[in-house]
Amino acid sequence: MSKLLEIKDLHASIGGKEILKGVNLVINEGEVHAIMGPNGAGKSTLSAVLTGNPAYDVTGGEVYLKGENLLTMEPEVRARAGVFLSFQYPVEIPGVSMTNFMRTALNAKREYEGKEPLTAKEFLSLMRQKKKLLELPDKLNNRSVNEGFSGGEKKKNEIFQMAMLEPCLSILDETDSGLDIDALRIVAEGVNRLKTPHNASIVITHYQRLLDYIVPDFVHVLADGKIVKTGDKTLALELEERGYEGII
Amino acid sequence: MFINEPVNLQIDQEAGSHVKIHVINAPFSITVNQLEEGCKTEIYALENLHGEENVTAETHVTHAVGGGSSTQLIKFVLDDNARGHFIGDLKIAPDAQQTEAHQTNRNLLLSETAEMRTQPQLEIYADDVKATHGASTGQLDESALFYMQQRGIDKQKARQLLVNAFMKEIIETISDEKVKERLLDTIDGIVQ
Repeated sequence: MSKLLEIKDLHASIGGKEILKGVNLVINEGEVHAIMGPNGAGKSTLSAVLTGNPAYDVTGGEVYLKGENLLTMEPEVRARAGVFLSFQYPVEIPGVSMTNFMRTALNAKREYEGKEPLTAKEFLSLMRQKKKLLELPDKLNNRSVNEGFSGGEKKKNEIFQMAMLEPCLSILDETDSGLDIDALRIVAEGVNRLKTPHNASIVITHYQRLLDYIVPDFVHVLADGKIVKTGDKTLALELEERGYEGII
Repeated sequence: MFINEPVNLQIDQEAGSHVKIHVINAPFSITVNQLEEGCKTEIYALENLHGEENVTAETHVTHAVGGGSSTQLIKFVLDDNARGHFIGDLKIAPDAQQTEAHQTNRNLLLSETAEMRTQPQLEIYADDVKATHGASTGQLDESALFYMQQRGIDKQKARQLLVNAFMKEIIETISDEKVKERLLDTIDGIVQ
């Protein structure tokens, strides 16, 4: 089992306010890590910092992806290297079609990997195949990215993009928020089917509910910018029962 | 793209006539008078400016009689030190009841040194009309840029995709399919 991601004493702030105050975490290939914690603990900040969101400043610490310094890479290079974020609030991009967007993204990744770009035919056939996984309609291709999508469709569209790009590290930031039980099942099944012995996921969530479907190997509790407790999946159940105050 | 020679048009419309005008990358002054009932006027313009380019666009639309409609959509994309100026006069005369008139000016600033001035002037003297006007000048959506970068699209290409999306709205109003396709290809060519 080789090391995929290593976070060492990570500190980060937004607008001068320190949010992450020394996060340490090691993720190996094949693992699913859940990160839970109260509002304002820094869960979304962690995903923003790992993906290079320019709104946040890293003020200390190191992050390595397969031994490479992640923090010096541009956001698009991190993505091509295999870091994928399923956004808590997927962005609507009027006028940019899903097809054009996805093809540009996939070919950028292939170029980074030294592969030839896909032909239009190959690309469309891949789109069709991956859309089935998420039970997404065919009409999606010509629609603008996320524009006019329902909450459930937006989250399914995130996992669809994950299926297209086949990242080595997926960060699911509150993917369960705003999903009804059917959509949750489809999204979770999609995520489970994309799991291989060589990739890993970080599942950020408030609730145990999602973890009934995506079963984590480790559960971490993030509070006030630090991981204060780590356990197996039973820790999530314990949190559900006793609340964060009982644990922290 | 480059800036074309100025376009100056003065049009008097007769009953039931339909005028549809597209201007792409040229300074212009367009005057349209709806002199008889049931006229339809459409004006679409796109100015994509770079460097020291400076373009003024003027529309003067008058509804002298009722039952007509006018639609204007004027867009500027301004990079570097470009300057844009839109002057939009829209008059609805006292007798021009049941007129429908829409004037929209949307502008995208791609640099901190580009400038846009917008001067809409509406004179509405009839009471039974539907008239709207809107003007906005903004920058590229940072959250959309980051979203695209997070999928592996480099920032320059992400910017171009957003700018093209902004420009396409004008191109897509062109009725002639061949011209439309050619212009869409020209825009997409910048990306791929």
